[in-house]
Amino acid sequence: MSYYGSTDYSYNSDFNLRVRDIKKGNLDFSWLDNARDTVEIRRRDPRRGLMLEDVEVGDYAVENTPEVVRENRGLAPRGAILAEGSDQPDLGPSLNKKSDVWGYRVQRYWEEAMSRQWNVTTDVPWQDMDRYEISDDLEFAFCQLCTLLSEVEMIATDLPSKWSHHMNSYFQEVKGFIATQCIDEARHAEVFRKRALANGVGLLRASVRGEHALKGILEADSYSEGSVFLHVLGEGFILTLFRSSEFISPTPVEQRMFQLVMQDEARHVSYGLQHLKYLMDNCPEVRPQINGFLDEAERHLTGLFNPDQLESMIVLGGKGTSPECIKRGIEVVGAFQGKQIQEYFHRAERAGLPERKERSPLLELQQRMLGALQSA
Amino acid sequence: MAIKFPSVDFFKELTRRMDGNAAEFEKLGFCDTTMGVKVDGDASHLYALTFEVFGCSDVRELSSPGDAELDFTLEAPLSLWQEMFESIKKTGHPEPAYSLNSLSHVGDRMAVVYDEPEGHDKFYRFMATIQAFVDQASDLEIEWA
Repeated sequence: MSYYGSTDYSYNSDFNLRVRDIKKGNLDFSWLDNARDTVEIRRRDPRRGLMLEDVEVGDYAVENTPEVVRENRGLAPRGAILAEGSDQPDLGPSLNKKSDVWGYRVQRYWEEAMSRQWNVTTDVPWQDMDRYEISDDLEFAFCQLCTLLSEVEMIATDLPSKWSHHMNSYFQEVKGFIATQCIDEARHAEVFRKRALANGVGLLRASVRGEHALKGILEADSYSEGSVFLHVLGEGFILTLFRSSEFISPTPVEQRMFQLVMQDEARHVSYGLQHLKYLMDNCPEVRPQINGFLDEAERHLTGLFNPDQLESMIVLGGKGTSPECIKRGIEVVGAFQGKQIQEYFHRAERAGLPERKERSPLLELQQRMLGALQSA
Repeated sequence: MAIKFPSVDFFKELTRRMDGNAAEFEKLGFCDTTMGVKVDGDASHLYALTFEVFGCSDVRELSSPGDAELDFTLEAPLSLWQEMFESIKKTGHPEPAYSLNSLSHVGDRMAVVYDEPEGHDKFYRFMATIQAFVDQASDLEIEWA
């Protein structure tokens, strides 16, 4: 136990007397003294139920929250009446500026996340796997791919959970959204593990290079840096990888799996993009810091192009290990890697970092990959 | 009776089926996007499909892309759309090479056209719903334009 409160309520006579008094029927109703006028809540769309946006009124609306939250450093939700004085414990949040965490439309991403949850156990048609025969080459390649993807999803679960308690409780919508990301990514790790084991082959090589790349995400010095590395750069790349994986899936079972995971991934990318955009719009002075960080992060990320994953995708893309299959696989993989980089630059530009394309080490990588394709 | 593709009636029929299959689409969750479908043939046709909540609330043909705020547009020649729907007819779901993702990914046989990355990403955020929407054509008699 590392926190001992300033008051031991179990022995506090004032507290115990008060509780006994209440239980005798002597309520003082002091909590009603600060009751405010009621607010008018309107459900904009009855088909959806009651949305977060519907309850964004008056003091409860995030747009009426100051950029810097000074008054609350505890667990009080935005809009709650805070006790006078300094009785509220300080939980030490370090992210107390809206621009530290906010993203445009985060309320909508939360509602979408809650609405579009799915279940690995029952929503992937595992029972159909017996209908398809997969060659050993393809099965091993697929299990190697699943191994790397499991590693990636571990980090994607850990980064949001690392930063959540650092966020001021007034930014409940962001805390909530990144909690949905944690469950999404845990679900992804679950589905890749189950698929690797479903035909008995199991997990193959964990990636040293890949994990060094992923460590960079977890070790980011700030939430915004971690978010841009994970959501915009990393998950943008992984989204394209999921699209490619759906394309090269050996059976409709895996296709369904990737169709479902790409939905979650795209939602995370959207939040990350909108957080970066909000940051650039409201704190343009951090641009050099973010650019400097991305200069290094993009170098880190090339570790995800590790040989085991590349070769497994080439085998899957070419549907085999013959020279003709490998040649076809190289074309498929080259094309998707080019897309990963191109789409990342477009996202960065729209978020307010158009200079990424010119200063990024990924540009040279893209040109080298195109050159390799042309000479293949 | 055969329904002409492409046509507003075709997409309205898929919308009608979506409303009749509410349980499946509610399970997939909220879908909120306005997407374009462009079919290039002897003449080009562009349609806007507006998905809201669990259904498709509007289908219209556009004279130009600027007539609606489209998050993204799927563009392909008529022959490719026909191949896709014929693939769906075989088993109720597309063969791997004919899913919307596959067609629009490697080789870009079907182009995904967009202005904003947010709009582009909606195609992937709602992929299961959009795929299920087109899969409903599996037992439709289609008259090709």
